[in-house]
Amino acid sequence: MMVSALQPCAFDAVLLSLRVAAVTLVLFVVSGIGLGYLLTRPFALRGLLDALVSLPLVFPPIAIGFFLLMLLGRHGPLGAPLYAHLGWELVFSFEALVLAAFIAGLPLVVKPVQSAIESSAREMIEASYTLGKGKLETLLRVVIPAIRTSLAAGLTLAVGRAFGEVGITLMLGGNLIGETETLSLAIYNRVIEGDSTCATWLSLLLGGISLSLFFLLRRLGRL
Amino acid sequence: MQTLSARIDFTRPDFRLRAHLRLPDSGITAVLGPSGSGKSTLLRLLAGLERPRAGCIRLGEHIWFSRAQAIDRPPSARAIGFMFQHYALFPHLSVAENIGYGLARGRERQRRVAEWIERLELAGLERRRPDALSGGQRQRVALARALAPRPRLLLLDEPFSAVDASLRQSLRLLLQELVSENDTSAILVTHDLEDARQCADRIGVMIAGRVRRLGESAEVLADPGDAEVARVLGWPNTLPVTQWAGDEACGTWGRVRLSRAPARAHEVVALLPDGPRPGAREGLEVEIAQVIEMGAYRALSCRLPDRTPLRLHLPRALPCPARGARTRIAVPPECVIALPARASVRFNHWSPHP
Repeated sequence: MMVSALQPCAFDAVLLSLRVAAVTLVLFVVSGIGLGYLLTRPFALRGLLDALVSLPLVFPPIAIGFFLLMLLGRHGPLGAPLYAHLGWELVFSFEALVLAAFIAGLPLVVKPVQSAIESSAREMIEASYTLGKGKLETLLRVVIPAIRTSLAAGLTLAVGRAFGEVGITLMLGGNLIGETETLSLAIYNRVIEGDSTCATWLSLLLGGISLSLFFLLRRLGRL
Repeated sequence: MQTLSARIDFTRPDFRLRAHLRLPDSGITAVLGPSGSGKSTLLRLLAGLERPRAGCIRLGEHIWFSRAQAIDRPPSARAIGFMFQHYALFPHLSVAENIGYGLARGRERQRRVAEWIERLELAGLERRRPDALSGGQRQRVALARALAPRPRLLLLDEPFSAVDASLRQSLRLLLQELVSENDTSAILVTHDLEDARQCADRIGVMIAGRVRRLGESAEVLADPGDAEVARVLGWPNTLPVTQWAGDEACGTWGRVRLSRAPARAHEVVALLPDGPRPGAREGLEVEIAQVIEMGAYRALSCRLPDRTPLRLHLPRALPCPARGARTRIAVPPECVIALPARASVRFNHWSPHP
């Protein structure tokens, strides 16, 4: 019954969401550790960077999506040179979906990592330096193991948020069925079309994927 | 001789540290001072965990920091051992892995780790994680981890603050033995005068970001240099002097005699809390404001006639006046020293031939 309820376009939406989640997960790991560490160090524009990272927590997603659309669209201040020089239009593409999911989930991974480094890892990092280790070795042997629980918690929240993202994705991705229709947007579209059966199955599927991710990442954090 | 030589100027928005000191390559130097005086910051600057605004830090021929020569060696290149106040053990590593962290991989590492485990009586705990250790065990692991790479200089930031008094005594002895055995020198930051008294060869006193006194322990304890330093070194009673009459100092609080007349008419006399005894026929007139039981002794908070507070330590075996009683205390001349209110800060250096 579930399979028949999920039309081919919905399968596409599931696959697209999984691809977006896979790419953003990698980006979250790299930028979560990098930005989380950077924001514990004193530098001139730290306050500004902290505010920018935290912005999606307080700013309405649909408004963020709109401003990004204006910025990155073919005639936008950033989108126009991209299109003129590289012939690349970011909006309404797979990359736009990744960017939307990344922006929405970023603070949820950066903040726990930043907090974990500030509260306990800072002294361990310094201890590692005084024991003759460089930055890379300290990162791999001390920082990541020490913050892994916080990192796993942050990744769970961030990927869950990325999966459920609608506002920014709607604006940047354009909701093109078969092209930029993610699982969340597919639910939205089925509801608009009045297909509540399909919307129900898709919602259960989205919930199931999110819960599976939650348990998987929580287990990784305990290792 | 690998003398540590440091001339440091460091600023934060609310704090400035200016230190100029030189230390030999053996023994323990304890750095004492009130909270916020910059003791831990000095240690972090020496380790390279903070960067001075100006100055030069060198150990023997090795320049660690020089603003003039644009040299700033990272902590990893300074060959130091650093023991943090809360140990900073790696929670995901076992005892053996923590101790071996600073050593190069290989059989030599295994051998050295095994040696340290035996030396610090940690046998049987090799595979345990830090959260399964007692406070004293954690401290020994941290000490072994800091010393295992054979550092040229060991820096200890309040290492005994998180353990109880009974453990402190044995750990002080252990530290002395290890520093001696490993032919290294150590700087021990502490707020506990007993740490300095019991295990330091030299004592430095920091107040408000300046090293105000540095020298051999006995010399510094006997002659703190000025009244502010004296208070840090266990002379809680400093009384302003209005007049000198030979070896007798007078003030609105009364008069006391010194063992000899001071060379200069200093502004302050300091009284040790342990020597003076109440119930005398002559001496300073005091009112007992409070009596606190301290175990081996009683701490008496007294008030002199001009309301100046005076603190005394009275052995439990001696009769103790009641709270509110008025009595006179006999002050032995050897318990009194004359000091300037504040001495000028000089270049502080250790020298075997003062």
